[in-house]
Amino acid sequence: MNPRPLTLRSYLQSIGAWAGLWACVCLVAVLFGGERLWTMPSREQVMDILASRLYAVLVASVVGAALSLAGLAFQALLRNPLADPFVLGVSGGAALGVILSGVFVTVIGAPLFGFVGALVTIGVIYAVAQRRGRIEPYTLLLTGIVVNAFYAAAIMLVNSLVSPVRRADIAYWMMGAISTLNPDWSLVAMVGGLTIAAGIGFAFLAKGFNLVAVGEDTAGALGVRVERLRLVTFVAAGLVTGASVALAGPIGFVGLICPHILRMAMGPDHRRLVPASFFFGATFLVLADLATRLLEGVGGQTPPVGVLTAMAGVPFFIYLLRVRWRRASEIR
Amino acid sequence: MATGIRNPVTADLPLAAFPYLAVRGVGFAYRRDAPVLRDLSFDVQRGRLANILGPNGSGKSTLLRILVGLLAPGSGEVRLGGALLADYPRAALARRVGYVPQETAQATGFTVLETVLLGRSPHTGALGFEVPGDWYAARQALHLTDTELFAERSLDELSGGERQRVIIARALAQEPELILLDEPTAFLDIKHQHTIYGLLRRLVREGGKTVLCVSHDVNLAAAYADDLILMDHGHVAAAGKPEEVLRAEILSPVYEMPIEVRKDKTTGRPYVMPRPQA
Repeated sequence: MNPRPLTLRSYLQSIGAWAGLWACVCLVAVLFGGERLWTMPSREQVMDILASRLYAVLVASVVGAALSLAGLAFQALLRNPLADPFVLGVSGGAALGVILSGVFVTVIGAPLFGFVGALVTIGVIYAVAQRRGRIEPYTLLLTGIVVNAFYAAAIMLVNSLVSPVRRADIAYWMMGAISTLNPDWSLVAMVGGLTIAAGIGFAFLAKGFNLVAVGEDTAGALGVRVERLRLVTFVAAGLVTGASVALAGPIGFVGLICPHILRMAMGPDHRRLVPASFFFGATFLVLADLATRLLEGVGGQTPPVGVLTAMAGVPFFIYLLRVRWRRASEIR
Repeated sequence: MATGIRNPVTADLPLAAFPYLAVRGVGFAYRRDAPVLRDLSFDVQRGRLANILGPNGSGKSTLLRILVGLLAPGSGEVRLGGALLADYPRAALARRVGYVPQETAQATGFTVLETVLLGRSPHTGALGFEVPGDWYAARQALHLTDTELFAERSLDELSGGERQRVIIARALAQEPELILLDEPTAFLDIKHQHTIYGLLRRLVREGGKTVLCVSHDVNLAAAYADDLILMDHGHVAAAGKPEEVLRAEILSPVYEMPIEVRKDKTTGRPYVMPRPQA
């Protein structure tokens, strides 16, 4: 697809271009997301609105980047184009963890419980779907389905035991929503730092992602420690997924849509896909969140952003299943 | 040009004195009660095209996976250039041993050139940027395997024979001393089988490589290989030059059927003919 050599210069140029696109979209979202700023009566009100929009843009960026990176990593290492933190149940596990932290402890433990939920889910999926170290593609997706069903039931159980006021909260949050009601800037900073660290880490693992995507034996023969790469990547992907769920609930299909759009546009090279996924995931979710804010003008209520990503993601999943997956499995 | 790689000092020594690849008493089992390899020993000399033969389930592919470092032997030892295989760091081994696995057909979306450049991974830095030397090695590998013409095409579009040559090119781009191939001619027609073996022979004669190949095809191996290693139930039944190994009294018990061995009048090499009972 791209016969040009990948040099530091072209690498930094492409990162700069993606970062520039993301920054422009953020600027548009802050200035034009919702009510018109020039109709505001006071300066304080304008500043309040800008701060709240900036918060939403940052949350959307962090969560979008985290989910997009996690999806890319799962697809590469599980060698399954349909792997995504939401489809596999990793987001669901994190959601159960976060909800339990709200019931039993206080809000402080939410990211931690999210990590635990995500990592436990990855462990379960991997243990169930692999046979002699090889992961069966269909078994993996079926495992994701039943794991998701279990978490849905467990969350429903918790939901039915808590007070009715919280119940509505949980239902809204479970759809994946970016709320600006109680901004928690330190949580955004923490999750953001973690996501940036994961992005940088994955940039150094991208060479290995390329080789594992071609074949595990090939990767091993070309010097990759496949088991170690898998462990490190899964833990990192689980951490950022858990953290993003603690921030904005389980937003689905971002990790499926973003990496695949990028693959179609720029080919299968993970050295390019990792930085692109980071910024494109952020851009994508900022745009989706902006769309929910514009829909607010229609109905008076802001729909959760996860509604939009799911409605875009499900047709996309079916397309991948019918077209791209078929091609991949036929040749195998 | 021919045999230019043999060191004039060591060439006259008895061959057994300097094994490049030495397999000594190797045993391996996936499950404890079913050993796949049992007390397996053989040598491969530098600059030779060696071929492992044997019936289905005789442990050929498992042996190759041990030699490339993907599996650790349960017992015994493997030495490469005198040092224990287990002592090589993973990337250092990847710079010495190239591997062409059996499952080569994968839809990845990579072009032929990108696929071959993946072979440079053991040589590139942490972020995986290629330098001009890497591009040179990849181009040279494409040239050697006669795959330059489709360098920009997707690997998924190629025919089986073309794809196999590209995978061999990827192993060549690694610039290894030893190339291991698992059934490189399975699923290929006669012409492409000979293209691949002709290429392997050129790599040994002109490229200075050592090649160890696993194949089912006794006659193809007989026509091209310098040395044959015949495996049976996880150990070596016979090893040596084709005319030493391909003998009716050796082959018939291993393949459990009457086999006749004749001599090709043009090449002087043996060829085998199975004689199934009606």
